[in-house]
Amino acid sequence: MSDPITLEIIQNSLQATSDEMFAAMRKTAMSSIIYEVLDMGTGITDAQGRIASSGAGIPAFIGVLDKSVQFILSKFGDDIKPNDVFITNDPWHGGVTHLNDLVLAMPVFADGAIIAWTANIAHNSDVGGMAPGSLSGDATEIFQEGLRLPAVKLIREGVTDQAVMDIITCNSRMPDFLLGDVWAAIAAVRIGARRLEDLSVKYTPTTFKAAMDSFMDFGEKTALAELAKLPKGTFELSEPQDDGCTYNVKVTITDDEFIVDLRDNPTQDKGCTNTSRDGTIVCAQMLFKSVTDPETPANEGAFRPLKVLTTEGTVFHAQEPAAIGFYFETEVRVYDLIWRCLAPHVPERLPVGHFSSICGTFVGGTHPDTGRQYTIIEPQIGGWGAWEGRDGNPCIFSGFHGETYNTPAEISEARNGLFIDKMELNTAPGGEGEFNGGRGLVLEYRIRTKNGFLTAGYTRSVVKPWPLDGGEEGSGNFIEVDKAAGEREHYAFVSGLDLTTDDVVRVITSSGAGFGDPKKRAHDAVALDIKNGFITPERAREIHGYGE
Amino acid sequence: MTITKRIATDVGGTFTDLVAIETGPEGMKITTAKSDTTPPNFEAGVLNVMAKGNIDPKDVDFMVHGTTVVINALTERKGVTVGLITTKGFRDTLEIARGNRPDFFNLHYEKPEPFVPRYLRAEVPGRMTYLGAERIPLDLSGVPDIVDNFRAEGVQAVAISLLHSYANTAHEEAVLAEIQRLWPDVSVVASHQITREWREYERSNTAVLSAYVQPVAARYLGNLDQSLREKGLPQSPYIMQSNCGVDSLAATSAVPITMVESGPASGFWGAAELGKLIDEPDILALDIGGTTAKCSLIEGGEVRIMTDYWIERSRKSAGYPIMVPVVDLVEIGNGGGSIAWVDDFDKLHVGPQSAGALPGPAAYGKGGTNATTTDANLWLGRINKDYFCGGAVDADMDSAGSALKAVGDKLGVSTDEAAQGIVRIANNNMVNALKLVSLNRGHDTRDFTLLAFGGGGAMHAVALGQELQVKKVVVPAAASVFSAWGMMMSDLRRDYFVTQLADLSEGSAMGIEAVFAKAEVEARATFKAEGVDPAKLTFLRYGKFRYQNQEHTTEVLLDGTVTDGALSKIADDFHGAYEREYTYRLDAPVEMVGIHLVARAEVGKLEMIPAPLGDADASEAIKGTRDVDYALEGKHLATIYDGEKLRAGMAFNGPAIIEDPGTTVVIHPNNTVSIDAYGNIHILLEGQS
Repeated sequence: MSDPITLEIIQNSLQATSDEMFAAMRKTAMSSIIYEVLDMGTGITDAQGRIASSGAGIPAFIGVLDKSVQFILSKFGDDIKPNDVFITNDPWHGGVTHLNDLVLAMPVFADGAIIAWTANIAHNSDVGGMAPGSLSGDATEIFQEGLRLPAVKLIREGVTDQAVMDIITCNSRMPDFLLGDVWAAIAAVRIGARRLEDLSVKYTPTTFKAAMDSFMDFGEKTALAELAKLPKGTFELSEPQDDGCTYNVKVTITDDEFIVDLRDNPTQDKGCTNTSRDGTIVCAQMLFKSVTDPETPANEGAFRPLKVLTTEGTVFHAQEPAAIGFYFETEVRVYDLIWRCLAPHVPERLPVGHFSSICGTFVGGTHPDTGRQYTIIEPQIGGWGAWEGRDGNPCIFSGFHGETYNTPAEISEARNGLFIDKMELNTAPGGEGEFNGGRGLVLEYRIRTKNGFLTAGYTRSVVKPWPLDGGEEGSGNFIEVDKAAGEREHYAFVSGLDLTTDDVVRVITSSGAGFGDPKKRAHDAVALDIKNGFITPERAREIHGYGE
Repeated sequence: MTITKRIATDVGGTFTDLVAIETGPEGMKITTAKSDTTPPNFEAGVLNVMAKGNIDPKDVDFMVHGTTVVINALTERKGVTVGLITTKGFRDTLEIARGNRPDFFNLHYEKPEPFVPRYLRAEVPGRMTYLGAERIPLDLSGVPDIVDNFRAEGVQAVAISLLHSYANTAHEEAVLAEIQRLWPDVSVVASHQITREWREYERSNTAVLSAYVQPVAARYLGNLDQSLREKGLPQSPYIMQSNCGVDSLAATSAVPITMVESGPASGFWGAAELGKLIDEPDILALDIGGTTAKCSLIEGGEVRIMTDYWIERSRKSAGYPIMVPVVDLVEIGNGGGSIAWVDDFDKLHVGPQSAGALPGPAAYGKGGTNATTTDANLWLGRINKDYFCGGAVDADMDSAGSALKAVGDKLGVSTDEAAQGIVRIANNNMVNALKLVSLNRGHDTRDFTLLAFGGGGAMHAVALGQELQVKKVVVPAAASVFSAWGMMMSDLRRDYFVTQLADLSEGSAMGIEAVFAKAEVEARATFKAEGVDPAKLTFLRYGKFRYQNQEHTTEVLLDGTVTDGALSKIADDFHGAYEREYTYRLDAPVEMVGIHLVARAEVGKLEMIPAPLGDADASEAIKGTRDVDYALEGKHLATIYDGEKLRAGMAFNGPAIIEDPGTTVVIHPNNTVSIDAYGNIHILLEGQS
């Protein structure tokens, strides 16, 4: 019964199942980074671990789950049983990202054979290691970044392995949160597995498998059709970085291949700004998808034309036991590197540079009203780049995050016991053009107790968001700390800074870059910018020639 | 015994509908009428439809009015210029919104524009804490300048939204009073008047959107009331709300945003009331119209009301939140007029684009060349081509055929197969929507009755019911005007949501009880001020609970006064409700996040009168037979029944079709049908009894 309509119905149901897993996990998680920020992803793979469907959430997580399942398959072989649930977080054992991200995967069986996997990934608040929240800019080895779970069974044929669960919770500074979040993840893979079992019973496992195969072939067909429309050739870019290194990329586009060559790059960092090769592939996949076909759902087929070349031992292909805690800043850099390399050649498909940093911000301490420990783990929102015909978006999440939400001030004040003095658009100069970059953010946390800490890692602080066609670069990402004692400190990377009562942490994110000559900006548009307080009349005269 | 006359009027985008029901010693008499909607003077259309239905306003004992004026003003951006006053440091909350990018691979995503531009967003110093204590005193010294600027910029309505006003309303009240003092004739609303829940962006946007539509809606309701009263209507009409209740015209004029989803709400309330009437309190309700299908789950006779409502939100856009009580529903772009199309990669889709009323489905013969779900239903013989739209339209089968053939050619299949494919895809879209409100929340569809209404509900209901294995399928009498019937069954109802954190532990009961008691006092005062007999007022108390550190809550119905002794039962109820929805429970502390109080009073609700059950023989209603293609079950010779001739007590078996002027009921092979004492059609699926 594998007529095209039946296949379509099964494919729609896969999407509905991924979405259902996502919704279930969101509603039950304990950590705000999961339920509010939605630093999580859900997905379904076929029996071989090829991604078939994914839920909403974070584009940077879509390409992770297949790699985890493939590792589990190679490690466990025949020892995979119905109602098993596996867990991994280690990039050299199928974990891809960093140790905070726990991946759970569950095989789905029909007639004694695996027909699919359900899986999810989420950032857990604390998995042990040298610093609260497990992330430290001072880490030099992965062992300092928390407990490594090298793809193990958490649940064996439906029975929880209490020893594994106890080890995981015992290693966390926030065991209650971790336990709640892991159960939310277990519930999600189980709900998904149940739906897939029903589907395969209803339509037979053979048809179910045929639907997955055809969906992936469809993804490949779509990608190839779009690839045909791209300019062919090899495009190159070398870009200096905030830390003084230079990153290099070559992108070769042919009729049926899209090759991202990252072999010529610096030796891996002694600190924690490294990523695994799998992580680098995920970045290339994201940009490839955005350039070719942002419309249709992502699956394994959609990525088939992509090849990624790396050199082991470099920042983009770190060797064990490199520290990888801040992998996301390295990843967002390589993602933006490919984007910037291609933008001048396909300007209709890519806006100019955005604030392009996770701006990961970690603030912790004691809640003055409840006496309980709190930890804020937040990516920040910032300005996006303009494109021909439109100003960039103000204050949305970076290209790494997607259906991700910021934390309301009212909730943050209640949950974290600090004050949010302001949360407003950043009107600092930068990002002007014929079309302006969108505005970044100014967010102020006023600390209410002693013994607090701040850890953060922002890039695009020195080398700022990149314009095209004569636009201005963005304003840059950084943090200011106004000490209660009076002095002001300025940071891009900071680890475990002590905070005390009435210190103010000011998060400042960049505007997006501008597109086109600012002198060409429409007179009415500049007048409205002035009226809205986005630009001073003096700066408008200087940069746009307004009023001359 | 006197005759009581109740009427409901419903202003839609194209038509204004009327349903009138007279109850008296002779039983019930139902009249329906339809006339054109008359923008911008909508009251003219209401008077027209009443004249058409021979209704003299003087004779009307109870009138309910539903309107899409609010949702239309929002989606068409036809509200007024709004100025916003907010807390210092939070001028840009409206523009920052939540920062999400739902269409995440699309790097050209366009964030929705705020309804108030930055130069009309003003700040006042002053801060409350989340516990409701004043931290920084309010400074009103800048307000005169703000007002001057608003006037100069042509502002017509002012919204006020201050941080933590859900916990303490004093600062908002002070700003409100100052605005009213400085500018007595401006329309103004403060966020706490609409909602007492936290999340500053959602609350601010709600206040802004309410201000945006307030002058438009107040003018509309004022004109309507005046016109009707001049014609002798004894008391002002009640206005249908999004929470499945009605509210007074005066209260609705002050905060009209509560009407935003009133259209679907009346149908779902009708479903809940019908369920009680036929002793089926657990209902999956499905409303299929011309462009969309909507569904909602009713458990124990109660609709679920939430405040997590967004307009224009999709996989492509973040949309705008409106934090008002709205019936929990899922809506998809799949109705009778939804267009079937084949993408560049030979995949068939149905909707969300609709052929609308013009040109409409190809079979309307008005120049439409796209195949729609209706065309497929016609082609398969499910809809009678000789009785299309109740005989009002000559079905253009040539146009329908060539539109369907074009779809088939692209897919490489026959025209018949294309039509079957369209029906199957449309059904699958609707099944997935029904699963979202049922299976996805831990409800077993086998425990539910599927109640289908709207113009297209009955055509697809059995196929959907079979897929979901529901208990049975019910198609109500007069399914096409069911929403208007639902309005007449509604109570005067208000939902109070208040954010209030409390641990669920020994000693906390008194604080929780106080929150409920306070809300109840407020509700009593409001109802009393509107002349409602206090004896008629009833309350339902829900608590919103979660495990400590979680965010999302599960609502639990509470029984009576909250005492320390009752806390353990409340906790047990929460654990149970949580486990059903999420498959596990935790041994973790439970906390309350807020309350949801439902206050309602009956204000003239319709009492249905059953007819005596007659003979089971339905042969007098038979019109004939024809071949019907049931898609998955193939072609069968079906008996055709005239819906207007079906009487209480009749029974028959499928394959069959029931034709009514407003709708077509598709009965599959192996179904058994019976007509109940209220004229509702009960359909048992294969193997059920």
